[in-house]
Amino acid sequence: MDDLFAPPQYTWQRLAPQYRSLRRVTTAITAAVFVVPGVIFLVMLPQLWWIGLAVIVVGLAITVPRWLLIERHYRSWGYVEREDDLYITHGVMFRTLVAVPYGRMQLVEVESGPLERAFGLAHVTLVTASASTNATIPGLVPGEAARLRDSLTQLGEAQASGL
Amino acid sequence: MTEPSQDHDQVAAPTQELAPVVEGAPAVKQTERPHPLTPFIRGWIVLVAIVVYGARELIPDSPGDTGFVLPELRFLLAAIAAVVLLAAVVGFVSWYFTRFVIDDEELRVETGAIFKSSKKVPFERLQSVDIIQPFAARIFGLVELRLEVGSGDNAIKLRYLQRDKAARLRDYLLVRAHGEQSSIDSAEHGADTSVFTDLSRSDRPLVTVDPLMLIGSFLLSSEFLITVALTLGAVVVTSVFGVIVYALPGLLPAVIGLVSLVGRRVIAMFNFTLADSSRGLRITRGLTALTSQSVPLDRIQGVAVSQPLLWRRLGWFRVDVDILGYGSSDGENNEDNATSVLLPVARRDQLRVALDRVLPGVDLEAIELHPSPRRARWLSWYNFWTLRYGFDDRVLITEHGWLNHRRDIVPHAKSQSVRIEQGPIQRRLRLADVHVDTPKGPVNAVARQLDTAVARELALTQLDRARAARAADRRRRQTNGTSGVADPRGELAVLDRFRISPDALLGAGSESRVFALDDERVLRIQAPGAGPEVTAQRQALSTLWADVDLGFAVPLLLDAGEFAGRRYTVERRIPGEPLSTYLASGPDRAARRTTLERYLTAAMDLQRLPVPVAGFARLIGPDAPRQYGSLADLLAAQLQRTVGPVRSRLEADLPDLAERWQRLFDDLSQRQGWPALVHGDYFPGNVLAAVQPDGTAVITGVVDFSPHTIAADPMMDVAGAIAFLGLEPGADPADEEWLTELATARLGDQARHWIGVYRRFYAFYFAEDPAVYPWSLAQLRRD
Repeated sequence: MDDLFAPPQYTWQRLAPQYRSLRRVTTAITAAVFVVPGVIFLVMLPQLWWIGLAVIVVGLAITVPRWLLIERHYRSWGYVEREDDLYITHGVMFRTLVAVPYGRMQLVEVESGPLERAFGLAHVTLVTASASTNATIPGLVPGEAARLRDSLTQLGEAQASGL
Repeated sequence: MTEPSQDHDQVAAPTQELAPVVEGAPAVKQTERPHPLTPFIRGWIVLVAIVVYGARELIPDSPGDTGFVLPELRFLLAAIAAVVLLAAVVGFVSWYFTRFVIDDEELRVETGAIFKSSKKVPFERLQSVDIIQPFAARIFGLVELRLEVGSGDNAIKLRYLQRDKAARLRDYLLVRAHGEQSSIDSAEHGADTSVFTDLSRSDRPLVTVDPLMLIGSFLLSSEFLITVALTLGAVVVTSVFGVIVYALPGLLPAVIGLVSLVGRRVIAMFNFTLADSSRGLRITRGLTALTSQSVPLDRIQGVAVSQPLLWRRLGWFRVDVDILGYGSSDGENNEDNATSVLLPVARRDQLRVALDRVLPGVDLEAIELHPSPRRARWLSWYNFWTLRYGFDDRVLITEHGWLNHRRDIVPHAKSQSVRIEQGPIQRRLRLADVHVDTPKGPVNAVARQLDTAVARELALTQLDRARAARAADRRRRQTNGTSGVADPRGELAVLDRFRISPDALLGAGSESRVFALDDERVLRIQAPGAGPEVTAQRQALSTLWADVDLGFAVPLLLDAGEFAGRRYTVERRIPGEPLSTYLASGPDRAARRTTLERYLTAAMDLQRLPVPVAGFARLIGPDAPRQYGSLADLLAAQLQRTVGPVRSRLEADLPDLAERWQRLFDDLSQRQGWPALVHGDYFPGNVLAAVQPDGTAVITGVVDFSPHTIAADPMMDVAGAIAFLGLEPGADPADEEWLTELATARLGDQARHWIGVYRRFYAFYFAEDPAVYPWSLAQLRRD
């Protein structure tokens, strides 16, 4: 990780290790979504074999690099709570560092889908008045997610400023 | 419901009728419905839409087969009638179940027949208040009131209301949106607005867009030229190949697109006026449907100034702004796309005027802009030479583009989050983008292709700048309370509200302090404790006097309100300086006497101002207008208010006080005459004058009509004009005698006697002011 995305004077908090497994499962599901209909197509309509093949190739082109990058993707995630703002970084190819001032948070959401629950995970989303803020932290254990939500809400209330 | 005389029938909502009666509970509130004509207008709008679209569909039909069209027409008409009826029924149901309350405590809107919804909005969350008049509603004098309440919610639409009522609600809501206290019943709201522009007297137009310039800017805009070029290109290519018939279906969307572009850019923007009201910025525009948008001053989240290539030679600009809620409009009609326009086209000087108002105190020219490094050309080969960014302690600026040059400006206090983004090629080139996020809207501040070190520095320091700006904002808000330590009387808060500094002070008196707002207006802040009735009474007098031409100006109140516990008025600025300043500057004797003669004449002219009540009366004050049976009664009542506190002191200094007091009233009871307007405090400090090249000064105005203003003997102002000269520093006593001679010559021999009487009256009347007390004693000892 180069200097551009390092947090000032702090070290990144990392995601829970199960996040890698979750990511593997979702990637496998995505692959299945492409490959299974592709195979069915190949079997049912062999004369139009190239359509089924194209679907399979596209699916694998998306999911194979994703599978290979799971470890790096997991390590690219980080967040840190500073005195006045929350930093979140992620991305392997396209990297992002977003800093959200607590005073700008409108609400903090903790959500957990069925798959996430199976792995004992939840994600936290910070909502500001700007739709492009896009500050979501995935792959947190529920305890950490709840702690983060409470602390962010508290800090947000203390520093809230009008729009 | 068809009874048109019923403006807004007030029926308690069913849920409220069922509410249990609790002792001491607040009275059940009366909710209101929109105007009963609403369903008809909505049905009418649907009918118009059907006719317009239907006509468009029918035109291509070949005229040969009329036999088929006739039976079809019957079905068609039946179908249209059914649809219109349905729309009217839906409109009626939606009207019937829509109720709203806008009063001193809350803003609440209830809608929905099956799924009930009740929305209560804190006044502070209002982002903008718009009045929209579709053509059909405009005919009936009805308008739609649209309230934007923030990013997450759709706009609240109240349709349709009567125009006057909507304007009153709008003014009230904007006052509350600024954090001011006010009452809906106050007479201050709902100044008369023009039917054609929806601007009232208190709105000061900043920029008016010339129709020719608007049309010119449209013809030179990129969107128009690209659409036309594509259309012509398609026609040329297909006709060259002889297949033009196939191009026609493709041309239809292009033509429709062009029509809608004309609608958005020209018809919706026609008569565009950006005006400054003390309630924020007001935009009015539109040829057929009139739209009037009002935005409180501090709700603008960002500004985008753009310039298509062809506008550059003409020096034209377009300005858009981010307002919470405008970006998330549901796109119900085309005009919604236009709501974020601050100026559709403006010259450089107009741009400066507008930006001065939107971003006061920010000198955009002075901000140093930094270019992106040269290596950005590998990635942004199409516009790398236009990429710039810069900031000062108030705003961040980013620039990009040459086909359409854009400059995005975000005040630090409004920036949301900050992002650094970097793609794989950017990483190779050690470049990164910095995004400063703003709410959804046209503004998109991105500093593109920065060196990584610069990007990091910009992003991290931006957070600090934003934090500092927010903290400053918060401090400003806190001092708005009456208990602020630095600003115990709330005056600074009011000044801040108008974005002016205490240096703008023009003059001060016991009743109020006056500050310059701009070249045309002043802000008068009343002394603490002055009641709302004083403003209302002064406003009434100002309206009464608006058409009277005295040869000099009297105050014209444009607006009034209350903020941070202080009452203020916005008034027309009268040119000139106080006459006392002129007299203190030491003009030579001849020039001074010429000026003093004009000063005396102005005092005599004041009686031509009409008075709202008959008889001798007090005109301004808590119990005004109060009538008295005689002049002596009125003046005795006036003296009661002021003499009390200093009576014992006067008695000590003047042993025969009781005798003098009695003699004054004996004299006053002798006075014959009709009541007329008396300023009551007519002295050189309340008279404005403009110095002429010959060294004299011409009276330009008389100000500060206050609780001293009464309907009484006009001789009082003549006496005051002369007697109060003695209070001017370095006054020549001979001037008083000279003016008395002059008054006697004009008004008759009796004048000298009455000037003496009123001299004694004023001596008693103003004796409570310690600075005036010695003068009072001197006046009383004169005879």
